[in-house]
Amino acid sequence: MTRYGMVIDITRCNGCYNCFIACRDEYCGNDYPPYSAAQPDKGSFWIKIIEKERGKYPHPVGVAYTPILCQHCDEANCVKAAKNGEIYRREDGIVIIDPEKSKGKKELMSACPYRVIYWNDEKNIPQKCTFCAHLLDAGWKEPRCVEACPTAALKFGDLDDPNSEVAKLVAAGKVEILHPEYNMKEKVSYIGLPKRFIAGTVVFGDTDECADKVTVTISDGQEKETLKTNNYGDFELDGLPSNKEYTVRISYTGYKPQTFKVFTRDDVCMGDIFLTRK
Amino acid sequence: MAKKVRQEKDGGKTIIKGLGFCSIAADSNTVQIEIKDGKIVRIRPLHYDWKYKNLKPWKIEARGKTFQPQMKSLIPPYSLGYKNRVFSPNRVPYPMKRVDWDPQGERNPQNRGTSKYVRISWEEALDIIVSEIKRIRQQYGMEAILSQSDGHGETMAINAAHGCHRKLLRLLGGYTLQTRNTDSWEGWYWGAKHVWGCENLGQMTPVTNVISDVSKNTDAIFFWGCDPETTPWGFDGQLASRLCYWFTEIGIKSIYVSPDLNYGAAVHSDKWIPILPNTDAALYLAIAYVWMTEGSYDKEYVKTHTKGFEKFQDYVLGKEDGVPKTPKWASPITGIPSYTIKALAIYWSKHRVSFAIGNGGPGIRGPYATEPARLQILLLAMQGVGKPGVHQFKMIEWGLYNKKTNIPLPHPKYVPDLSDVQRGWRYTDTPRQFIPKNKIHDAILRPPLKWYGTTLSRDSTDQQFIPYQYPLPDSTEIHMIWTDSPSWMSCWTDTNDFVRALRSPKIEFVLAQHPWFENDCLLADIVLPSITKMECDDIGVETMSGQFYMAYPEPKAIEPRGEAKSNYQIVCDIAARFNLLEEYTDGKSPEEWIRAGYEASGVAKYISWEEFNKKGYYIVPNDEHWQEQKAGLAAFYEDPGNNPLETPSGKIEFYSERLAVNFPADNERPPVPHWIPSGATHQESLHSDRAKEYPLLVESNHPRWRVHSQHDDMTWTREIHTCKVRGQDGYLYEPVWLNPIVAGARHIKDGDVVKIYNERGALLAGAWVTERIRPGVVYIDHGSRWDPIIPGELDRGGAINTITPHNTTSKNASGMVCSGFLVEVAGVDLEALKKKYPEAFNRPYDNIAGLVVERVLHGEKSRG
Repeated sequence: MTRYGMVIDITRCNGCYNCFIACRDEYCGNDYPPYSAAQPDKGSFWIKIIEKERGKYPHPVGVAYTPILCQHCDEANCVKAAKNGEIYRREDGIVIIDPEKSKGKKELMSACPYRVIYWNDEKNIPQKCTFCAHLLDAGWKEPRCVEACPTAALKFGDLDDPNSEVAKLVAAGKVEILHPEYNMKEKVSYIGLPKRFIAGTVVFGDTDECADKVTVTISDGQEKETLKTNNYGDFELDGLPSNKEYTVRISYTGYKPQTFKVFTRDDVCMGDIFLTRK
Repeated sequence: MAKKVRQEKDGGKTIIKGLGFCSIAADSNTVQIEIKDGKIVRIRPLHYDWKYKNLKPWKIEARGKTFQPQMKSLIPPYSLGYKNRVFSPNRVPYPMKRVDWDPQGERNPQNRGTSKYVRISWEEALDIIVSEIKRIRQQYGMEAILSQSDGHGETMAINAAHGCHRKLLRLLGGYTLQTRNTDSWEGWYWGAKHVWGCENLGQMTPVTNVISDVSKNTDAIFFWGCDPETTPWGFDGQLASRLCYWFTEIGIKSIYVSPDLNYGAAVHSDKWIPILPNTDAALYLAIAYVWMTEGSYDKEYVKTHTKGFEKFQDYVLGKEDGVPKTPKWASPITGIPSYTIKALAIYWSKHRVSFAIGNGGPGIRGPYATEPARLQILLLAMQGVGKPGVHQFKMIEWGLYNKKTNIPLPHPKYVPDLSDVQRGWRYTDTPRQFIPKNKIHDAILRPPLKWYGTTLSRDSTDQQFIPYQYPLPDSTEIHMIWTDSPSWMSCWTDTNDFVRALRSPKIEFVLAQHPWFENDCLLADIVLPSITKMECDDIGVETMSGQFYMAYPEPKAIEPRGEAKSNYQIVCDIAARFNLLEEYTDGKSPEEWIRAGYEASGVAKYISWEEFNKKGYYIVPNDEHWQEQKAGLAAFYEDPGNNPLETPSGKIEFYSERLAVNFPADNERPPVPHWIPSGATHQESLHSDRAKEYPLLVESNHPRWRVHSQHDDMTWTREIHTCKVRGQDGYLYEPVWLNPIVAGARHIKDGDVVKIYNERGALLAGAWVTERIRPGVVYIDHGSRWDPIIPGELDRGGAINTITPHNTTSKNASGMVCSGFLVEVAGVDLEALKKKYPEAFNRPYDNIAGLVVERVLHGEKSRG
């Protein structure tokens, strides 16, 4: 049995928005009954991109782009909320909002905790991503957003086919769900969702040199990670949970060690840390 | 015959077109367009293997991994969403005349930029144009007509803008040309060529096989002022992005030196070094200082491959001016800590480093851009440029001028070429009177002019020593402007001064032809509607994507919008009225020109015309022997005596005898490159007196969501938050990036409407408060459409080029300067502005697409 799903690799997303534009190109001005009515030309984001700026100037700022679309959940709240079949799950797992039956049902928007259902004011219907079911049924192998992705950050396929790329990634345990706490058996999963990092730059204050190969230990009281700075004196530990306290200790032979307490409310940028001689 | 299209089973059809925006018969971003019932249903990447199942893409193998093209075109968002542009509410619907411009009476040049327009018929428009050309020819001579026909746009061979009228003007007796200069690589053209030749760009040539060699041998790539996730999009597509991921995957470090964390750095950088704009020269000098004092450079190479090193050494070590160019010296200039400068210098000296450059970027378009460009080459020379892993290569324009030596990726057997049939821009077609593009305002307001060099982008270094003047002694000043590329206001320099120039009574007639009513159209007297490439038959080639090289017929997708005609057709109609149609067209119909394009392209030998149309495209095979060619400057590296560079000595010249002899008194481009913060031509440094009033440097690069001013009306991209910022008044403002420190000091909050200003004028922008820009700098893309509040003084559209420096790169170097200049930024009281300028703030406006053509219609009621 085919069960369509998507894996989104954040570490390969360059933020070009091709997925979003392809979606607009496919649906704005184009009706595909009985799958979907045309998307409004503005204001709807069937695939939207959350941009998270990471870190503070000057180090080490980066951007994580997280595309968010309907997760086509196997246990979707929206399907449960639609008592009269306004939203249904196809045999291949794709969740569809019926553009006829859903007329006037604005309340269905709030059934989705991912907030990926948009209201079409003109047509008076709730709308969302269909995984381009009309194209898949016509023989396409992937939706428009996946076809338009230049870096293969978006991957699409049959989760029940063990040979598909998406099934392999899921089986390898490389993916995670955006909000596992919703317990909805999402069929969209992610690689590299942004977590928290702790980073800084260490400098030998006496010689005005970047401090290479300095030992940095980062500990949460139980577990400890030990890093070495690079030639620019930089260190960075990524993938940490948020809202947790850590102790950062910086030490190098002949210099006074320094200890800091940091809290991962956001990414932690410790700036330039100057070591002084013992 | 050009109507042949494939009929699909649903009754629709699929055609192929190139949606790159280079404009000069060299395209990329090839798409499949699906059409049904006369409507564009969708625009998709082309699947190269659609009609050719056994394609053999090239492969680069390095460090146990393989990189190869994808089987689909890697188009950017604005090609994918091009429907938006075709159906823009700002299309010119019919011929229009400025309401208070009367060719028989009062011309009111002083109202250009504020007057509205009335509809006229094609008949009336052509009558006026013909009689004006006749009058001007009689009164002043044909050289009183200026052709503004350069810039980038849609790429078409037969129907394109960019100079269709030039041949007709030549047939009528001549014209004055605005010359196509090196906009985007000024520093290399006016500077680096004096160091290493590398004709005609000044960027490393040849770049043959460099990406393969980098993949095998390079430790780190310095993306110095280069954004591989922005500038390449419109010209090549997104292979650059995949390459950046590949470099990281195989362990090459990506170091970004730029004031902003640009879009490439945001996802690819291993290290970001945020430098103050246009201070790159000081950083290069400090690195050279570290190498000289530590002896950590390739002394043997310097001895055998270069000339004049001692004079450079004297300057760096301080023997010339008493100032050693130490990291401590460079630190306050560049805003980079001295320890980081040292670490960078040491890393570079111990590793194989290559430079990736884009066109544009903060390091190459500032005042005195010759200096950082030359120093970049000198430092590469100190580490043996040409040796495996040590190169400079471009992340854009892979195949520029259809030359294989401009392709750093594996070569095709040949590059398909349509230059022979291009009806517009032609390099060889330069008339005797011309004006450099960034001196047009001076030519009108402050003649006579003198300068050096044709400034033409493809001319050799020798040209830079030849003096030119305007007007020629036996010629005339210009009195009419014919533009088919009306984008001065958002793309040229100090364009507020262009408004004053175009309001001069000397300029009696401004004729514009364009699909959209934008930018300079607002200063024209007659505006003619031209089509987009969706609305005509044409022929194209993909030569810049780096993936596959191909040629394809480009059938019409939809009927012309409104009363639009192709640029070529417009000129044909005018030629007919001069009884010159036969001479102008060489007796060929557009269909015959398309066929001629196929014959001349190089593919006709391999595929019949019938098959070419049936399949819809032809892919050129790879050069089977591509791997055998030497990488970059390897031949020079291995044997400089037998493989000299194109410099007088054949070597890399630390000291340029040519500059010394020709410009002995030029301290703005001396024989040895210097750090020049200010001089007679520019005072744009944070250390100059002007900085007391204007304490921020502008960094302005080519845009992320546009190609220059193209695509600024795409409703879909305008909803992306780095594309536009919605002001409290609902208007979508061009974003200006402000570091929280800069914003906080001025009480500016994210989303506020602010004013960016200096003595040259002011523009409004939407504040984007971000960590992606360092303090001391504000970043704004160029190319936002001009929407004047007071023409020549205050702009609402966010066209930063209205206030860029007036002067060229330096005294004797005629490059454009549009980044690295001083401004101040302040919050504005929108309500007060709205009260003061009710007309400007109440024009018809679409709350997503922005400017609409109704705003310029005479009699259209404003909403206020």
